[in-house]
Amino acid sequence: MRDKAISGLVSFSVDHPRMVIAIILLITLGFASQLPKITTDTDPKHMLPVTSPVRQYNDQVEREFELHADNLVVGIVNERGVVNRETLSHIAELTRQIQRIPGVVVRDVASFTTIDNVTVEDGNLRVSPLLSDVPSSETELENLRKTLRENPLLLNRVISADGRATAIYVPLEPSANGRQIANRIRELLPKSSAGDRYFLAGDPVARDTFGSEMFRQMGLFSPVAGLVMCAALWLMFRSAAVVLANMAVAMIGIIWAGGLFIGLGFPVHIMSSMSPVFLMAIATDSVHIFNEFYFRFGEAANKRQAVLQTMAAVARPVLLSDVTTAAGFASLAAGPIVPVRVFGLLVGFGTLVILLMSFTLVPAILILMREDRIAVAAARQRQAGAALSPRLAGLGAWLMRHTKAVTLAGCLLLVVAGVGLLRVRVNNNMVHWFKPASDIRTADRALNQHLGGTSTGYLVVESPQADAMREPQMLRAIERLQRELEKDPLVGKTFSVVDYVKRINRVLHNDDPAFERVPDSAAEVAQYLFLFSMSAKPGDLNNVVDYPFQKANVWLHLKSWDAGVMRSVIQRAGRHLETDPLPGRATLRPAGIAYFNLVWNDEVLWGMLTSFLAGLALVLLLLVLETRSLRWGLLSFLPLLFTIAVIYGAVGLVGKDFDMPVAVLSTLSLGLAVDFAIHFVGRFQQRHRECSAVEDSLIWTVARPGKGIFRNAILFALGFLVMVFADLTPYITVGVLMAAIMMLSSLASVIYLPVLIKLFQRHLVKEGNP
Amino acid sequence: MKNHSHFAAALLAAAAGAMAQAPAVLDAAAVLEKSQAAFYYPGADMRARVVMELMTAGGKKRTRVLTMLRKNLPGARRQRYFLYFHEPGDVRRTAFLVWKYPDRDDERWIFIPAVNMTRRIAARDSRSSFVGSDFSYEDVSGRDLAADAHTLLREEKLGEAACYVIQSTPKAPAEFSRKLSWIDKVTFLPLKEEHYDARDQLARVFTADRVETAGSGKAAYPTVLKRTMKNVQSGHRTEVVFETVGYDLGIEADLFTERFLQQPPQKWVR
Repeated sequence: MRDKAISGLVSFSVDHPRMVIAIILLITLGFASQLPKITTDTDPKHMLPVTSPVRQYNDQVEREFELHADNLVVGIVNERGVVNRETLSHIAELTRQIQRIPGVVVRDVASFTTIDNVTVEDGNLRVSPLLSDVPSSETELENLRKTLRENPLLLNRVISADGRATAIYVPLEPSANGRQIANRIRELLPKSSAGDRYFLAGDPVARDTFGSEMFRQMGLFSPVAGLVMCAALWLMFRSAAVVLANMAVAMIGIIWAGGLFIGLGFPVHIMSSMSPVFLMAIATDSVHIFNEFYFRFGEAANKRQAVLQTMAAVARPVLLSDVTTAAGFASLAAGPIVPVRVFGLLVGFGTLVILLMSFTLVPAILILMREDRIAVAAARQRQAGAALSPRLAGLGAWLMRHTKAVTLAGCLLLVVAGVGLLRVRVNNNMVHWFKPASDIRTADRALNQHLGGTSTGYLVVESPQADAMREPQMLRAIERLQRELEKDPLVGKTFSVVDYVKRINRVLHNDDPAFERVPDSAAEVAQYLFLFSMSAKPGDLNNVVDYPFQKANVWLHLKSWDAGVMRSVIQRAGRHLETDPLPGRATLRPAGIAYFNLVWNDEVLWGMLTSFLAGLALVLLLLVLETRSLRWGLLSFLPLLFTIAVIYGAVGLVGKDFDMPVAVLSTLSLGLAVDFAIHFVGRFQQRHRECSAVEDSLIWTVARPGKGIFRNAILFALGFLVMVFADLTPYITVGVLMAAIMMLSSLASVIYLPVLIKLFQRHLVKEGNP
Repeated sequence: MKNHSHFAAALLAAAAGAMAQAPAVLDAAAVLEKSQAAFYYPGADMRARVVMELMTAGGKKRTRVLTMLRKNLPGARRQRYFLYFHEPGDVRRTAFLVWKYPDRDDERWIFIPAVNMTRRIAARDSRSSFVGSDFSYEDVSGRDLAADAHTLLREEKLGEAACYVIQSTPKAPAEFSRKLSWIDKVTFLPLKEEHYDARDQLARVFTADRVETAGSGKAAYPTVLKRTMKNVQSGHRTEVVFETVGYDLGIEADLFTERFLQQPPQKWVR
């Protein structure tokens, strides 16, 4: 049934090659017309579906406390201290200019000149911005230093403990592009710095810089990877037709899959931006068709006959390897991470398109090729192919003599890999997607060193009763929780409504430090907060308590974007609340970008683990079905398992974080790495049917199809290795790991399959001719 | 240096404008003058029971109920305001006193009943929020007309009312770029205002939602009984309703002193 459908497709293509090519071109044009609609999405929040509870709760917290999801931080560091006339006038001017940039939430820009400060002078309350006019005398400067130093609300937020750093906080409208605004701010930075160093950090810069870099690098590396593969193909086949057909198949796969997904409205994420490279690598499968065709042409000497025979011979392995590849990618759709799902389906679909091309476009091109050219190429191919590679034959013979030693070495390697697997650390850190010397990493380090921290988390205290957040008992419990959390060295600062209440209490009592505490009655708290709301920006209070005073928001500034930091904060809070619970059955709920990253991190791990297991099962099932034997299926499966164990063991041993790109690769490698084993086993079985000596057949398989396998692996690896030169670490990771997976799985197939087949030949071959 | 040249340029521009359309420039300032008189200064004194509702974009609400007393002092447009809060319950008896001067910073005092304490507040910025609402102190008691340059843009109907549309641009750099006011030609009350931020994007919109001639005392004046200030950027808005209003009631001048802040006479604040 299946074979009939394929041969029908092939003979139609052979009989009407021009029509087939025209139809394919038309369809391609249709898909290509969708490509200009491309959009990108690099917001980590969109990694989880809109319906995920963590996203919904985060949105709710942002609404209730009037928080902005996106904030830029401009850090200013001066070794002489930032409170000097020049730096202050730069800050004042810079703040004013930033407030004019479209996309900035003007009212909530926070810096020396916009933060309202309540102080007491001669018994009078004074409400004014920290800095209204740049002080002219040293006395005034010293007063400002004192004000900054003594106000815990400001410490580590707008002034570092050593007075050398300050920051301007720039919230963005939801629709604003963080990178564009960051670039505008960079243009505004004073040219003569007077010892000031400026740093720009914050989640939106990272995200949007990443988005634009992604486009740039994708645009650069996809063609380069393509060129490298073309060059390698040329060196292997010396035929323009082979190179052309390969690239045409790859391009069509990319355009159809890309056009379909862009047309359906899916934005391009970091993962799907890599799909062209993957599809080009997968398209090299058509190499097997050309390989076979040149042999057959010599025998049949009739082009039409040669094409039909070729397609009949390769249909099964091509179909099988492409279907397993597509299944491996499609199994990514079982996970919860949206961009990974899209990527899996996109490449899966592209693989099926490539498969379709193998039975339509490729035979059509073959039939249109000039016979004299084919004859030359075929002659060369026969010459090259007829000779067994002496080195590989030597390897095969050596393997046959040392089966036990080789097996033992493999087992040892697996043990080492096992140790590495145990040490794998699951972590996501978006800032680490940039290289250590990049502007973004440098700014992040500088700000984390001097101020509270660039990553933000929230702990929302929720009470069943309204007005609970005005009870002194509740405020004191929150205060104790804050002190406990601050013991974590990566928690740079916490603040809450408690800090405002204490501040007002102290200021009202003539700045007496003894009153820097929560007052004793709820009426006092209420009236202090009322006074606060009358003297500061309304937003300041709304950021820390909701309207009915039923919820309080405890802000955490974290010094690292590692997902684990928020986990340890939540655990610490949990332990603290066991001995010192919140009054009135109030509960604590985490939110904010730091918490989101944590949830996402866990989802990535479990999601990838599920898709990985699903993928493994699917690939094994396909192998068993296709070889019609449980044992042969399992055997073909082993090199893949070995490769994955060794690669991830190495990731653990090297200490590289198991992050999103690495996690996704585990599933990707399934469908790709298994191809070599399929070819090896298929060719061995064929050879074994012809000459019954198992050992000789194995040596032949290592020497001849083994060469093809290595060629294929090198072609794959070269394409991916190009990405090593990328500026973004996920591309580098994918490039290196994919190349390693390809090389290792080809080695594992060519070395361990013969060894295992020899060791277990009684169980495998005794079944009769499989 | 830079500031000087800016100033000179502004002067030149103003002079050129004055020559080109001298009557319009004069008219605009005169209209606003009359408008402030009608909006902020009617009667010798005034009392209103005010319900102020602060509403978030998400529909959450905070209500403040207060008694507002105002007395005009003779000459020079000086005024005194007394605000006494009834609700929310836990801030009852909190009171607020403002001595307003048209040409210099206000003087303000607050009484905090829970600690029985009166504090003077030196607030420099009259554009800061008035009791956490979308109104600024300036919106409540009037901005110094001399601080801005005014131009009559056009005359148009706003609903049924014929209005002057006047643009006011601050003379010194400010955090707003301009304000458009729709002034009723008959009552001279502002019916609508658009406040633009430093980027010249619409930031806040004032609307007079209900205007009636009202007054329970010896006189009645056209009064904005309901007004709304909406921050169009954040979606937050504040609605103010005068439940009762009276003019020329004979409120004693010494009520507006620190002494009475703690214990105002019941007849005025009940």
